[in-house]
Amino acid sequence: MSKYLIEYSSDVVESPILSKVVVETGVLINVLRADIEYDKASIVVDIPHDEDRVIERFKESGVRVRKLEENIKKDIENCIDCGACISLCPTGAIYFTEDWSIEVDKGECIRCGACVLACPMKAMTIQEH
Amino acid sequence: MKTIKEINQKIKKGEAVIVRADEMPEIYEDNPKKAASEVDIVTTGTFGAMCSSGAFLNFGHADPPIKITKLWLNDVEAYSGIAAVDAYIGATQLRKYRDSDYGGAHVIEDLVCGKEIEVRAEAYGTDCYPKKKVETTVTLEDLNQAIMYNPRNIHQRYNAATNSSDTLMRTYMGTLLPNKRNICFAGVGELNPLANDPGYDVIGVGTRIFLGGAKGFIVGEGTQHSPDSGAGNLSTRGDLKDMDPKYVRGCNIPGYGTSLYLGIGVPIPILNEEIARKTAVKNEDVKTEIIDYGISRLVRPVIGEVNYEQLFSGRVDVEGKKIRTSPLSSLKITYQLLKELKELIEEREFYLTGKVESIPRKGQAKSMKLKKGTKTVNQVMSREVITAKADATIKEISALLINNHIDQIPIVDEVNKLQGIITSRDITTALARNITKMADVMTREVITSDLNEALDIVSRRMDKHKVDATPVVDKNNKVVGIVTIADIMRKEGSE
Ligand code: SF4
Ligand code: SF4
Repeated sequence: MSKYLIEYSSDVVESPILSKVVVETGVLINVLRADIEYDKASIVVDIPHDEDRVIERFKESGVRVRKLEENIKKDIENCIDCGACISLCPTGAIYFTEDWSIEVDKGECIRCGACVLACPMKAMTIQEH
Repeated sequence: MKTIKEINQKIKKGEAVIVRADEMPEIYEDNPKKAASEVDIVTTGTFGAMCSSGAFLNFGHADPPIKITKLWLNDVEAYSGIAAVDAYIGATQLRKYRDSDYGGAHVIEDLVCGKEIEVRAEAYGTDCYPKKKVETTVTLEDLNQAIMYNPRNIHQRYNAATNSSDTLMRTYMGTLLPNKRNICFAGVGELNPLANDPGYDVIGVGTRIFLGGAKGFIVGEGTQHSPDSGAGNLSTRGDLKDMDPKYVRGCNIPGYGTSLYLGIGVPIPILNEEIARKTAVKNEDVKTEIIDYGISRLVRPVIGEVNYEQLFSGRVDVEGKKIRTSPLSSLKITYQLLKELKELIEEREFYLTGKVESIPRKGQAKSMKLKKGTKTVNQVMSREVITAKADATIKEISALLINNHIDQIPIVDEVNKLQGIITSRDITTALARNITKMADVMTREVITSDLNEALDIVSRRMDKHKVDATPVVDKNNKVVGIVTIADIMRKEGSE
């Protein structure tokens, strides 16, 4: 299961692309996050199966699709492995390893920024795509 | 029975048996007598945000001399009302009063790292100290003394916090999600020095500790020491010049301010079986209360009791729901410093000291004495509230705003229940966008207050949500008054 960032430009922002893709492909896409402005929008989705087919349909509809892999970066110099960020992550992407170091599952991150705002050491940054 | 002298002799011979606090329970349960005789030292410690920290600095005399009255280090104010060229820099002092993420804690960290610090000093000038101004830079090396002296560091008990209110809170206990969606907790459970010596049997005035990666001492009980309620704490001292930047880290707890993450290790000499038993404490034995920070009063409600085993498991059951937890102290760095302390002892670089005086085992801190009672909403609010119904027109509302010289109107239903609020700004928006129905521009999520709430809490809420007024509602959400920032300022100004 992978997460994708779908970006709508102003030309397509008013058409129901997501609904169309769901109806046409029959894949139940899960929306994890949505940023909607009046002239553009982006959503983060989880595509549970048939990724290639779904992405193809999205692209044909005129939106930009990017796989989210390197979403968040933890600066190991600054991070003190306190764990203040752990309970704030809506997807549970941040966890303790055996030796109580903090790790982030970058594929699970939906770029919400909660950990960035809560970190006392400014150790987390959202990566630009 | 052993004495500290005997343990120090073993250290000298390289024979001392040192175990970490979390290893002790198993050793003790296996054979208490053997544990007491064979183990010499149990290492305890913590690495957490310690707000009540700071350092005394001595700059040396200038030529001509100055008696500093005001002092800034990298633009962070330090207290200089102690003789001529001494100052105390506190961890939570911010560079500017608000909205700064650099503070005294960072100055201390920068000093320990050997960085250059900008010094700006002012004085009024006397016959003996004629100089009135100094602008220079210093590093740790340039200072005569740089002594960390922390009024309140190691606590017997730390809290766990959650937030029952419906807005996110940024507190010294970290970021608390609304509706009790997370718990933040401080402290390291079974590794905490005072969890291993709750009766102050061995920890006392003069106990040598590992402070910020250097040798330091316990100088006494800390301020607000409250052993009667299980909330004792210790005051510490150490030399900044010997400290290690790994264990002295400035931080900014978002929305709260700066603090100092500090590493402290306390070796506990196992003198007898009683002391051994106490150091066999486990995470499940170390308990704390989950406190609701959603209620902003001095005595906040307790939601439940938990132990550190549960807190460190990542999830805690509260009222039938699993809530995720966040530690605020770092176990990883605590383990790291305990390892380093053990190595120092093994290398004969660190010997133990006995206490020269006991920490008081009785006493309770009082709360602040206020001359006047806390002011509440019903003492300042206007009871005659101008309200309107949702079907009012822009014209009607505009007329109400202008004729009554007000900036906002609560919108209510037939029985006076609050439905929304309209401000003069909403009217402008409506006009700009050609909206005629007020229901389309009014704010439905209204920031309200209760009759008996303290004014400080209400003004903080208005500040946080950037509103100038809040309708006062009763428990049925009926509007009984309105309080504006002007009302609050007037009340404060009249005193
Ligand atoms: S809150 Fe910041 S410093 Fe603490 S573990 Fe998370 S990233 Fe590291
Ligand atoms: S930005 Fe941080 S909190 Fe948000 S999903 Fe990514 S890792 Fe989790």
